[in-house]
Amino acid sequence: MFSYETMIAFFNTFIERKYYMTLLSGIQETLLMTAIATVIGLIIGIFVAIIQVSEFPRKLKWLEKILKGIAKLYVDIIRGTPAIVQVSFIWLVVLADVVMARPVVGGISFGINSGAYMAELIRAGIQGIDKGQMEAGRSLGLSYFQTMKLIIIPQAFRQMLPALVSEFIVLIKETAVIGMIGGRDIMRAGNIMMSDTGSFIWPILIVTITYLVLTSTFTMIMRVIEKRMNKGRF
Amino acid sequence: MIEVKGLCKSFGDLKVLKGIDDSINKGKVVVVIGPSGSGKSTYLRCINYMEEATQGQILIDGVDITDKSIDINEIRQKVGMVFQHFNLFPHMTVLENITLAPIQVKKMSEEEAKQIAYKLLDKVGLKEKANEYPNKLSGGQKQRIAIARALAMNPEVMLFDEPTSALDPEMVKEVLEVIKELAQEGMTMMIVTHEMGFAKEVGTRLVFMDEGKILEQGNPKEVFENPKEERTKLFLSKVL
Repeated sequence: MFSYETMIAFFNTFIERKYYMTLLSGIQETLLMTAIATVIGLIIGIFVAIIQVSEFPRKLKWLEKILKGIAKLYVDIIRGTPAIVQVSFIWLVVLADVVMARPVVGGISFGINSGAYMAELIRAGIQGIDKGQMEAGRSLGLSYFQTMKLIIIPQAFRQMLPALVSEFIVLIKETAVIGMIGGRDIMRAGNIMMSDTGSFIWPILIVTITYLVLTSTFTMIMRVIEKRMNKGRF
Repeated sequence: MIEVKGLCKSFGDLKVLKGIDDSINKGKVVVVIGPSGSGKSTYLRCINYMEEATQGQILIDGVDITDKSIDINEIRQKVGMVFQHFNLFPHMTVLENITLAPIQVKKMSEEEAKQIAYKLLDKVGLKEKANEYPNKLSGGQKQRIAIARALAMNPEVMLFDEPTSALDPEMVKEVLEVIKELAQEGMTMMIVTHEMGFAKEVGTRLVFMDEGKILEQGNPKEVFENPKEERTKLFLSKVL
């Protein structure tokens, strides 16, 4: 399996058939999809988390109940079903007739998935902020949402940043299932190489190393951010 | 200016306030004392609706704040509050802490808000700290900034919830001095405190609370020197 000859043979084909381009475009698609998913997940996550923790004004209690119900249903569905099922559903059913670039469709699908998990992170981050901060904001006449936006979220966000970068790294890996329903990500690039050359070991090694390089790069970036934050103002 | 009628507050089954009637007139300084668990902080917090009253009415300038149709944020602009643990915003500079509410709530221009902030910083003696972050300040300095922050909204009443209880002893005085100055300027205030000497000095009226009720009240000197109720006597004998 590890013989020198098979390796040479594979890498000759790798260069001849320009598989490095397949791999590069796979990396591009994975990263683009992950970035879009992170942004969408973050937006959904912030909204859902705020709905989950918020106390509405006295007049709007009925709205609070409806929104909290929807948020709970969303989180339950996402956490209760496999990602591949959700992504297939969105890609192949909901967005089937919509003309959009592949990574965008994938990004939206994974963003909807990731939003539920980010909501949990953000909720914990918000609830980790001292209650006195909300009281101080409200006592000055700021509304609940002003206090959230200006006082609670900025502080919570700083604390959550490492966890959110981890979620980004998780997404880099999780998006690998997209190849199963037509995406052209890193894993799919590996599959193409495998079926074209009949060799398994070298394509899968390349895929493994590619993912590892990507995730450890972002882990390193996260460590730098964390260090800077710890040195920062609070 | 503030009128409290039959105020009750329960947390679940626990009755914390059991019917409080009181009125606070303009320019007066009401000092609330009592053993811990007597409900004095809860009483104070009910006045700007930090705690929702279970029963009773609280009228501020004739407006019943327990009425669900009123805009509580508008009322809170008139009522400044200073907390035991300061609650400064750690991600903002001292100046930003003070200018935030005037800019966001009163829609003041940044320039105008800054001018007011500097004036108030001068008043509490911390002008040079304008661009520091709260974590660089001592407890006493933080509390003085918190007072300046509340004053920036130009409130009609100031509520102090044990403003010196979280401070190291040597920092208590600088905070009390600021509050004393406010009293002399005629600010209407309600202060929950354990500083008996201070209560005697600045209070125009002393309120002694126990078990969710106002047990005794009157001129601070008289209450201190000649308490009528047994409970008051017992409490004062322990703290004086």
